[in-house]
Amino acid sequence: MTRLLEVKGLTKRFGGVVAVNDLNFHVDDGEILGLMGPNGAGKTTAFNLIMGDYKPDAGQISFKGQDLGPLQTYERVKLGIARTYQIPRPYHDLPVIEDLRISTVPDSITRCLRGKKRNIEEVEQIGIGVGLKDRLMKYPHELSLGDLRRVELAKSIATDPKLIMLDEIFAGLTVHEINELTELLMEKKKAGLVFIVVSHDLKALAAVIDRAVVIQFGHLIAEGTYEEIAHDKKVKKAYFGM
Amino acid sequence: MVNWITSVKSFRWWLVAIVVMMVLPFIVPPSFLRICIMANFMAIFAMSWDMMSGYTGYVSFGHPFLIGLAGYVSAMLSHQGGFQPPHIVLPLYVTMPLGIAAAVGGGMLFFLPSMRVRGPYFSLISLAFLMILSRIMIAAGAMTGGDRGLTSLPYLVTGAVNNYWLSTGIMFAVAIGLWLVARSDVGHVLKAIRMDEDVVESSGLSTYRFKRFAFILSAITAGIGGVFYTHYMGSISPAGAFDYIFLLNIIVSTVVGGMGTILGPIFGGYFITFFTESTRTLLEGAWRFMAYSLVALAIVYFRPGGFYGIVHDIAAWFRAKRRGGLQYDQVT
Repeated sequence: MTRLLEVKGLTKRFGGVVAVNDLNFHVDDGEILGLMGPNGAGKTTAFNLIMGDYKPDAGQISFKGQDLGPLQTYERVKLGIARTYQIPRPYHDLPVIEDLRISTVPDSITRCLRGKKRNIEEVEQIGIGVGLKDRLMKYPHELSLGDLRRVELAKSIATDPKLIMLDEIFAGLTVHEINELTELLMEKKKAGLVFIVVSHDLKALAAVIDRAVVIQFGHLIAEGTYEEIAHDKKVKKAYFGM
Repeated sequence: MVNWITSVKSFRWWLVAIVVMMVLPFIVPPSFLRICIMANFMAIFAMSWDMMSGYTGYVSFGHPFLIGLAGYVSAMLSHQGGFQPPHIVLPLYVTMPLGIAAAVGGGMLFFLPSMRVRGPYFSLISLAFLMILSRIMIAAGAMTGGDRGLTSLPYLVTGAVNNYWLSTGIMFAVAIGLWLVARSDVGHVLKAIRMDEDVVESSGLSTYRFKRFAFILSAITAGIGGVFYTHYMGSISPAGAFDYIFLLNIIVSTVVGGMGTILGPIFGGYFITFFTESTRTLLEGAWRFMAYSLVALAIVYFRPGGFYGIVHDIAAWFRAKRRGGLQYDQVT
């Protein structure tokens, strides 16, 4: 399988706290990777580093063989990396359809000035594709948490990515919503998308991932299939202290 | 054909406003027109501030820097005393574009780098630049006239009616230009930046590119307002150009009219100008500003969207009633 994303020796310190410590992992084309770890393990920090929100103190991140180091966040998105946020961040004054449309707007002033709403059909299809058909005209305050997570997913899909990093995508959802979302992820995987999924809901995670990496104190402690890491002593200790 | 009809339809309220403004000189006295001229300039300044601060959320306290710089450059180059040295007096059709270019160039040199920092830091840096420029204009007295500024500057046109036509024409040209930009995807992205800049960046858009464009438009607008205002007044001084009340009027006009709307600041500019002028005989000095501050506070408290928000809500209510539900074009 082709290596899509590779993280080597990634380190990030916040003052005296080492949030990510010499982290190494990779994601291959066609797979869904689970990024696991107890609270404060550094999962979201790793996402922020991959997106370019933080500059690493050491290490290298490459995507499709290209070093991401010198690239800004928007340039990484153009390369094909997208993310969702742990706490959904919709544009509070915009209805869903307009929120999604931002992700399809060209990054060019001249092209932006030429027209409006030209890409609305495309946006509608993306919204419908994640199950938001009858909620496209709604504002964020009218949506459930499940719907807001769908909006997050739709926004990332709208940037036409290859890799999407989903941060706590199952958190706060009902079993029914989790099942729907799982089906959706599997469908998108078949369509060629690659995911890194962070979740505390291990049962939900087990249903979608091909492989998992577990981190603690920002450092990789285990790697393998879900069954392998579920029986790993270090993982059990990290999660249950035993 | 349909697109052409849609375009004409979307301009219908502009046509109404232009017709109303064209009729005014025939039915009101010159004193009323003079207030309209000041309102037109305030509307231009407020739209300029709105393009940058109202749309992107980067609150500028230094906007008079851009206005004053444009005005001063044009004034110094066109003043009968001449640019010191070597006593060059240039015609207005040369000095005014140079003034506008100075606003854009000076702004890009000082302000634009500050847009890499956010929130109060940007606001404070912009305020610092304003204060620095004000001191420079006083210190460089040989060229700028120092504290007293420059007087007896050449006028573009004379008389209330002529100046009314000129200022109204500029105001509409600026307003329609900015309105078209605001209606495009550029306006859409700028509003999104105001709401959550990181998320816009995560959508694959260079927020700096869009902010820079908004800033340049804002600086051009401020420059246009600055040079025309200076040559309407026939004078410029640090006390007038860089006064904090002038800055306050610009911000209050935008907030009362409706931030991030372009149209709102026109209402706001007219409201503030007419309110302060109409209460001139009733209230003195500070009391007048106190009164208008209270009115502005009341508007923003009860309707944070300002005048534009009120008009927009009423129009949306009528449209929803007529169509029987919320439509896509009502929420954009």
